Amino acid sequence: MSADAEAPAERVPESGALFAYESRRRLRGSLALGVGMSLLGLLMVAFFPSVQASGADLEAYVESLPPAFAEAFGIEAFTTLGGFLAAELYAFGWVILLGLYVAYRAGGSVAGDVERGRMDLLLSTPVSRRRVVVESFASLLVPVAVVNAVAFLAVYAGTLAIDGSIPLLDLLAVHLLSVPYLLACGGIGLLLSVALRRRGLAERAALGAVFALFLVETVASSAGYDAVAALSPTAYYDPTAVLVHGEYAVGDAVLLSVATLLLVAASAAVFDRVDVR
Amino acid sequence: MTVIDCRQLTKYYGDVRGIDSLSLSVEAGESFGFLGPNGAGKTTTIRTLLGLQSPTDGTATLLGADIRNAAALRDARRRVGYLAADPGLDEDATGERLVRLYGRLRGDARSDELIDRFDVPVDRRVGEYSRGNRQKLAIVLAFMHEPDLVVMDEPTSGLDPLMQERFYEFLDAERERGVTLFVSSHVLSEVRRVCERIGIIRNGRFVTVESVADLLDRAGKRVHLRVAGEVDPADFAFDGVHDLSVGETTTFTLTGRYDALVDALDGYRIEELEVEEAPLEEVFVRFYDDAGTDPAEVSA
Repeated sequence: MSADAEAPAERVPESGALFAYESRRRLRGSLALGVGMSLLGLLMVAFFPSVQASGADLEAYVESLPPAFAEAFGIEAFTTLGGFLAAELYAFGWVILLGLYVAYRAGGSVAGDVERGRMDLLLSTPVSRRRVVVESFASLLVPVAVVNAVAFLAVYAGTLAIDGSIPLLDLLAVHLLSVPYLLACGGIGLLLSVALRRRGLAERAALGAVFALFLVETVASSAGYDAVAALSPTAYYDPTAVLVHGEYAVGDAVLLSVATLLLVAASAAVFDRVDVR
Repeated sequence: MTVIDCRQLTKYYGDVRGIDSLSLSVEAGESFGFLGPNGAGKTTTIRTLLGLQSPTDGTATLLGADIRNAAALRDARRRVGYLAADPGLDEDATGERLVRLYGRLRGDARSDELIDRFDVPVDRRVGEYSRGNRQKLAIVLAFMHEPDLVVMDEPTSGLDPLMQERFYEFLDAERERGVTLFVSSHVLSEVRRVCERIGIIRNGRFVTVESVADLLDRAGKRVHLRVAGEVDPADFAFDGVHDLSVGETTTFTLTGRYDALVDALDGYRIEELEVEEAPLEEVFVRFYDDAGTDPAEVSA
């Protein structure tokens, strides 16, 4: 190792070293999760023909749902493949499940390293605290990107197999637009992670915070408190709008990205000031 | 050059005292032992020096960098190695991947040599390592960038005696090269083996800072004596005799010069006389006894 890894003192710490290391550690779990979400997606796709067959009854059922409930789960158009997947796969699997997953992992990131003493060793190197926070967070791109890529391919292959019609661009967009949403959830988890610095606590707080924001958005938007609803990241990612109406809310994605940057910057600033313990 | 310079370094956790007004300087090339029972403030001092937590009061410099100046301290850490008591190595990573990561973070001038020397199974995952192998990997990570200062917290915990000796020999070689060592330990024999000067810490304050030689002088010599006939205790009532016990074998601790002992022995027919270095533990225990702390926490 010495021969090829020899780095003069001025060149260390190499930027991206921690990111590369953390990313590789996350790869296996991300692939497993990608396969899991793909199976969920394929299951939903496989269900669709029989759902469609029961057409009229289901429309009546959807009509009869309380509007708030229908909105919370993106139930608008069960009888189109896009509408069905938006409600059954993306509103649940992406907005809720993956949102919670990324927040949970972010919650465990810095706090976990602090708790088991790994942070002491990392920070005994000439690496800055900000860099540790930023590169740890950036490694969350791995599960976000891998799960989306794998599931996108699986769902697309599934729709071809059942001869379902779903615009390829819409399907691509629903995955791409989930990236800033999921990273924003990660940003919330990260801030809690540096603020609390106890792994279990930060993980639970991150889960609770993202889920609470989802509920707040659901309740507030159906009650007409749009300003309150606007506080939740879930307000800026709407699979139904993409898959039913073909609307890509790029502005919302930008907003989520800006919010994420602010959350990461705040996390770095907090971690710069606290005692690591 | 002063490598570590603590000036009234103080750290409280809320109302709980970690360390209080520690002042100390360690010069380049020196090996300093930081001795005290668990909870005395050793780890607090180290973590404050490394910038992991900020001092409540006072300050310190590490290789010239003020520990309150994050950027300066970060730069100084290029030349620092840290061997933590519990390094929190990633269980799922192989030793090799960790060596590569830390090589990219702090430089790697000789990891191969150290891996060979300490016989670390770097191709296996850390999760499969024994306690000793983890410690050996941590040693490689702490020394591979040829640091000028190495801070060690209980460095030989988990190492078997053979490996401990190999590590001490390695430390001797590092000292030859001029590396400064700062060794925190609750094991006296270790500090004695590695360090030339020690500070004894208790409840966050120094009880004493002095050279190992001075401390040993103060500890004195242990004398075992067997003579033909009876020993008269009055002959050994001179200054410098402690803990006299007269019997078939007479034993006592002697501090100061030998002349008085030689005079006292005049007239006895000596069958056996053994003079050996008193165990440092005794001095150490004296410090703790004075302070009313349980010496049982300190082991040899």
